[in-house]
Amino acid sequence: MSTEESGVPSKKPWRLSLDSWAVVVALLAALLVRVGVFKHIPW
Amino acid sequence: MADAVVIPQVQPVQPALRFLRLIPGVLLLAAIGYAGKLLEQNVGQYAKAHNWVFPNIEYVLWAILLGLLISNTIGVPEIFRTGVATYEFWLKAGIVLLGSRFLLGDILKLGGVSLLLVAIEITGAIAFMTLLGRVFHLKPKLITLLAVGSAVCGVSAIIATKGAIDADDEDSSFSIAAILALGALALFTFPLIGHYLHLGDRAYGIWAGLAVDNTAEATAAGALYSDAAGKLAVLVKSTRNAMIGFVVLAYAIYWASQGQAKAVGNKAAFLWQKFPKFVLGFLLISVLATYQFFNKDQIGALANLSRWAFLLTFAGVGLRTNFRDMRKQGLRPFAVGAIGEVVIAVFTLGLVVGAEKLFGF
Repeated sequence: MSTEESGVPSKKPWRLSLDSWAVVVALLAALLVRVGVFKHIPW
Repeated sequence: MADAVVIPQVQPVQPALRFLRLIPGVLLLAAIGYAGKLLEQNVGQYAKAHNWVFPNIEYVLWAILLGLLISNTIGVPEIFRTGVATYEFWLKAGIVLLGSRFLLGDILKLGGVSLLLVAIEITGAIAFMTLLGRVFHLKPKLITLLAVGSAVCGVSAIIATKGAIDADDEDSSFSIAAILALGALALFTFPLIGHYLHLGDRAYGIWAGLAVDNTAEATAAGALYSDAAGKLAVLVKSTRNAMIGFVVLAYAIYWASQGQAKAVGNKAAFLWQKFPKFVLGFLLISVLATYQFFNKDQIGALANLSRWAFLLTFAGVGLRTNFRDMRKQGLRPFAVGAIGEVVIAVFTLGLVVGAEKLFGF
């Protein structure tokens, strides 16, 4: 029996989506490049 | 006595453990991607040194081919699967970082043209796929999923629509398999057609962004042609992705009106929930680059970071594609998808060639 069937609303924990995580990580990486932590990224 | 309902206790997985589980698969993506890069450098040199006639195969194709080889021979062992699934994450992070290579003016100019082309493509593709699905007597919700998958953005759009219209798992796995198989075919055919028709980087990049369904495959199909084409394919594909919320909302309202899906409550919240946030990240980085928040060297470093992220993505595209699994899904949805994709590819090619003459991009 699910919680929805019993009438108890299920409360999902708040989580960042995959998209949002990708944005956060990319912006953080850009910030680290900006402040000079990563000076040169080779290719 | 009340019914004794035994609810199994699911142990929450610790974040640290979840992170550790990602490592083997991410390392596999990195190893395959890097092997692709080494093959690009060394195979060409070896062939030249031995006077062999060998086409210049870019790291993108090597990484995809190595992934395909593993996936379709020995398979991807369980320990790697969680980490391999992160290829979508690397794709989106790579797109955000790629924003540093676009000035806002370019985005407004090309984004305006691509928005118009995307609107025409989405309308035409949905209308055609719906008609085709009816001709082939597919189930109505399966038609919706195939139409959304081929008109907007592949697997993400199918998953978003499935939840919104209460579609069956079977219908969504049919649609996903068809879209993935056709995406894999597009990877190899689009660059060949582009070269055969002598399309310029811009025209080809816009075409790949308009016609290839999945973001990862569209990015790879663009990058296989040239760096400039890859950039444009990502821009146009992101414009298509930005439309996902509107299309899914329209379908959710339609199916709710038929009494076959839940009604949509707060439409603005629905749109925000479905909106791909990486498009906002891409625009933000582009604004920062336009206003010289980053110097030239830093933009070069961000562009290289983006390339590394895409390298992992391309390895994941190959590892995720298993032709045996796709064959199991049946022929009819695949046939509808294939006919639809060919028509959409020809239609969008005509649109791009026409727009090139009209707007001179």
